[in-house]
Amino acid sequence: MIALLRYQAAILVRSHRWIFPLILYGLLVAVSDEGAVPLAGGLDWSAAMLVPAVALLTRSMVTAEPGAARAVVAAASGPARAQVAALATALGAGVVLGLGGACFELLASQRPPGHALAGTLGGGLAVALVCLLVGSAAGALCNFPVLRHPGVTLLSTLTAVVIALVAGISPAAAALRHTGTGLAAGGGPHWPGLVPAAAAACLLAITWTASALAAARRG
Amino acid sequence: MGKRYGGRQPWVVRDVSLDVGPGRLVRVSGRNGSGKSTLLKVAAGVCLPSAGRVTGRPRVGYVPERFPGGLPFSAREYLLHMARLHGLRAAAGAGAVDEWLERLGAADYAGAPLRSLSKGMCQKVAIAQALLPRPGLLVLDEAWTGLDQAARATLDAAVTERVADGAISLFVDHDPARLAGRASQRWQLDGAGRVTVAEGDNPAGESASGNAAPDNTAWDSTAWDSTARPQVVVIEVAGLEPGSRAALGGLPGVLSCDGPAVRVLASYSDDVLRTLLAGDGVHVASVRPETGAPDLGAQR
Repeated sequence: MIALLRYQAAILVRSHRWIFPLILYGLLVAVSDEGAVPLAGGLDWSAAMLVPAVALLTRSMVTAEPGAARAVVAAASGPARAQVAALATALGAGVVLGLGGACFELLASQRPPGHALAGTLGGGLAVALVCLLVGSAAGALCNFPVLRHPGVTLLSTLTAVVIALVAGISPAAAALRHTGTGLAAGGGPHWPGLVPAAAAACLLAITWTASALAAARRG
Repeated sequence: MGKRYGGRQPWVVRDVSLDVGPGRLVRVSGRNGSGKSTLLKVAAGVCLPSAGRVTGRPRVGYVPERFPGGLPFSAREYLLHMARLHGLRAAAGAGAVDEWLERLGAADYAGAPLRSLSKGMCQKVAIAQALLPRPGLLVLDEAWTGLDQAARATLDAAVTERVADGAISLFVDHDPARLAGRASQRWQLDGAGRVTVAEGDNPAGESASGNAAPDNTAWDSTAWDSTARPQVVVIEVAGLEPGSRAALGGLPGVLSCDGPAVRVLASYSDDVLRTLLAGDGVHVASVRPETGAPDLGAQR
């Protein structure tokens, strides 16, 4: 699996497919930061914007290899494992984006007094993790090989991202709401809640399995 | 097993039950669109069968019918990645990569980006990645197309080596002369998804004659005569230097090379002759079957 991840990461870095999601994420995070918002709010925003960024990164990764190269890797390592490696590479790139976003908010936002800083940061990163998982799930479900037509995959990816951010049942929306209400109440650290986190993990497992199975069937 | 691409799609191959032992070379034949590539993909583990399963698969080297490059690596970088995917350690992987680039005549292009390579060069890269790990199952889907003459001969020899080493090799090629006489089985697809198995090699497509050799060997005698034992060809050469004589002795199919006579298994004689004729100062005096029969005529 390590060799597969190295191979996929090399494709991501060398193919410059990371540039568009990076620019998009950078713009989305920067645009929110007019004046100094409180750190908790800034972290929530940069977490939410991970959903489109990771969904697009995932879309880039699952379409990066030509079919023949994909077949050759599938013969060497198994088609499902190869697919999971591509998804995991996109998720890993999302983690890097998320950490970058958190660093930006730390520098640019209004920091809370020292004793609350660690809790706020921890809560923000936990929300970011939920958003990462949901973004990856949206990307895996709406792109090759589960859906194939390029137009359909792009539209459905964008739709899934919007749903993930606004619909009541989405774990990402739930996590953001959870911290939002905590923020309004002015309480201590703002954790995303266990239910959204568990739901996001389940969603990820289901969509990755669907993607890997589709890859193994299709070849 | 059977395979179809989707629940409402027709079966590409169906009710296929095949068992293939080590050291077998299998020619897969059938018309265009009869499902050869699909059968090879399922055998190589590129995709899962829709029904049934494939078991006991050793390490696989797979060469697809077209390999368009299109990855952001140089040929050597790509092959190093593939060596790691095949489980080779760094040093062994690098050694195997350089060896195969050299053997296939692609060493000069090792640093070139895959995107810039010609069709033939890309095909060499595809072949090299499949041969890197010395696979126990070598699957070749028209791997010879686009290759130059030397690379074709190298691939022929490489397949023969793998099979002699106990590996299974499945191949599709529309040239009936490809590895003629060496395949030990032929799988014929009928276009409706069924596969019939014929023992022995019969590339021209006639029904298999009844004298199939039951032995589990890399060559097959039935493509020649009805004689059960393998045919031997004697090649008489002049001007062979000691160095090239030693190299000749190491070629697959060469039984002995003492004095002017080189004894070769008939199914390997083309390759050996090609190698001989490529050498400087070597003169082939005659070629005849070793049957005790009189010389069929010196070709001077």
